[in-house]
Amino acid sequence: MSEPFEPKVVAFLCNWCSYAGADNAGIARMPSPPNILPIRVMCSGRVSPEMVLRAFRSGADGVLVLGCHIGDCHYISGNHRTAKRIPLLRNLLGYVGINPDRLRLDWVSSAEAPKFAKVTQEFVETVRALGPMARDSATEETGG
Amino acid sequence: MEYRNVLTTCVYCGSGCSLYIQVLDGEIVGILPSKEHPISRGSLCIKGWNATSFVTHPDRLKSPLIRQGDGFVEATWDEALTLVAEKLKTIHDESGPDSLGFFTSAKCTNEENYLLQKLARAVFKTNNVDHCARL
Amino acid sequence: MIKDIRAHVAEKLKELDGVVALRRTTEGTAPYLFQEGDDLSQLVLEPRYPLASVISLLQKRYPEARFGIVARGCDTRALVEMAKREQVDADRLYLLGVACTAEEAEECHCAEPAPDVSMWPEAEVIGTPVPGAPPNPIVAEYENMSLEERQAFWQQQFLKCIKCYGCRDICPECFCESCALEDPLWVERGTLAPAFPMFHLIRAMHMASRCVACRQCELVCPAHIPLTVLYDLIRRDVGDLLGYVPGADIAASPPLSLTLEDAPVQVELD
Repeated sequence: MSEPFEPKVVAFLCNWCSYAGADNAGIARMPSPPNILPIRVMCSGRVSPEMVLRAFRSGADGVLVLGCHIGDCHYISGNHRTAKRIPLLRNLLGYVGINPDRLRLDWVSSAEAPKFAKVTQEFVETVRALGPMARDSATEETGG
Repeated sequence: MEYRNVLTTCVYCGSGCSLYIQVLDGEIVGILPSKEHPISRGSLCIKGWNATSFVTHPDRLKSPLIRQGDGFVEATWDEALTLVAEKLKTIHDESGPDSLGFFTSAKCTNEENYLLQKLARAVFKTNNVDHCARL
Repeated sequence: MIKDIRAHVAEKLKELDGVVALRRTTEGTAPYLFQEGDDLSQLVLEPRYPLASVISLLQKRYPEARFGIVARGCDTRALVEMAKREQVDADRLYLLGVACTAEEAEECHCAEPAPDVSMWPEAEVIGTPVPGAPPNPIVAEYENMSLEERQAFWQQQFLKCIKCYGCRDICPECFCESCALEDPLWVERGTLAPAFPMFHLIRAMHMASRCVACRQCELVCPAHIPLTVLYDLIRRDVGDLLGYVPGADIAASPPLSLTLEDAPVQVELD
C-alpha cells in the first residue's frame, strides 16, 4: 500500500513582508502546513522565471511567491515586476501542459500572519488535488 | 570599412555543413548558417555555431616550441623541423617503423592530411596513421 | 520591384556610408554591406537573414557612420525593439522598407508583412503591402488542446532538441553578454535533450516583450521544433496583459521592467 501524496511546495518569501509574516505566524502558533519549504529573498521582484522553473525541476509540486502588497514594497516598485512576470509565467506553464495553478502569486504583509497561514494551507490543498508534478511533466523521461 | 560573409565549411564532423563567417574589416565577428547548402539547409550544431572560436584563442601557438626540461622554448621552423626529422629517423632506425605513429587533424586541409599519410606510409613504412579524434 | 530597390540603393549610396542587404554571388547569398561602386545587380531579397543584427554590429563599430538597410517587416520590427534597448541608433539609419508578397506572408504566418516606417526618422517603402496571413494553425487550435495534449506535444518536440543554441544565436533580440541559458544553475550541462522544460521555457519568458515574430529561430532549428508557437502565445499574453506589441511603436518602452504606473496591467490574465 503506497503512502498518500504529500505535496512539496517551495515558497519564495520576501524579506520585509511575507517572510516576516511567516515568522509572526509561527510565533503566534498559527498552523501552516509543513509541506512548505521557505526561501527568503530580499524582494519578490528578485524571483526570476529561472528560479521558479528550477524549483519545479528540483522536485517541487507547487511554487508560491509571496510579496509585499503593491505600494508597500521596501524597494518601492520591486513587486510591480513580480505582478507582471508571474502571470506570464503561469500562462506559459499552461501552454506546455503544466497546470498553471501550481504557481501562485499573493501579497502578504508582515502584519498578516493569519493570511500567511490561510494562503499556505489553501495552496498546499490545491497542489495536493493536482497531484505530483511528475504527472504533469514527467521530468524523469527527458533530460537524457 | 568592409563587412562581408565568407562561405566556408565547418572544420568539425564529417557532415560538412556550410557556414558563413562574418568578417568586419578583416576581423571575425560572428557566424551565420548557410541557408542554401543542400545538407545543412540553414542549420548548424553547437560546434558549427562556434567553429571559429579557435582562430583567435589565446592558447593558440604563435611559434614552434621545443621541450627543454620541464618547459618549452620558442624555436624557429627550421630548428623545429630539423629536430623532428632527426628524431623520427633515429627512432625509425633503432626501433623499427611501427614504433612511430602519426596523427593528423580535422583542422588541416585534405591535401595536408594526404601528405602526412604519404610520409607515414611511403617514407617511414608504417600504417600507424590516424586522426585527432583518437586523442 | 527588385530593380526599383537597386536603383534606390544606388542613389542613397551617394550619401550613406553603406547599405546592408543580401548579396548573391556565385558562392551563395548572405548579408553584405554595399558601398558606393559595388555591383548592385548582386543585391537580392532572399533567402531571409536577420539583417537587423548586422546593423547593430556595424553601428557599434562605427557609431558616427550613417547606414541604410533593405528591410522587410520583420527586420523593421526587430530594429524597433533593438533601438529601444540601445542596440541600434535609429537616428543614423535609413530604412528602405520592402513589402513581402502574399506567398511570403503565408509561409511565415506573418501578421504584418510590410514594414511600418511611420515612426522611422528616414524611411520609405517599396512594393504594395499585402494583408497579414492567418496565424500558425497550431496556435489557432491551442485553446482546444487539453493540458495533457499540450504536454505530450511539447515533450515530443523538446526531445528533439540538440541544444545547438541556434535559436538564441540567430535571434536579433538576443544580445545579452551573459546568457541565462549558459548558466549551469538553470540549464544542466551534459544532458540531451535539455531537461524539460528549462531551456525552452526560460527562452520563451525572456522573449516576452522582445520577440517580433521574425521566425528566424524556427528556420534555423535543426530539429524543426515549432518554437514560434510558444513565442506567439507569449506575445499575445504580453499584448493582453500589458497592451504592448513588440515592434509596433518605437516610443513605447518595454513594460516588464517598468513600474505599474508607467506600464500598468491592462487586463488580468486567466
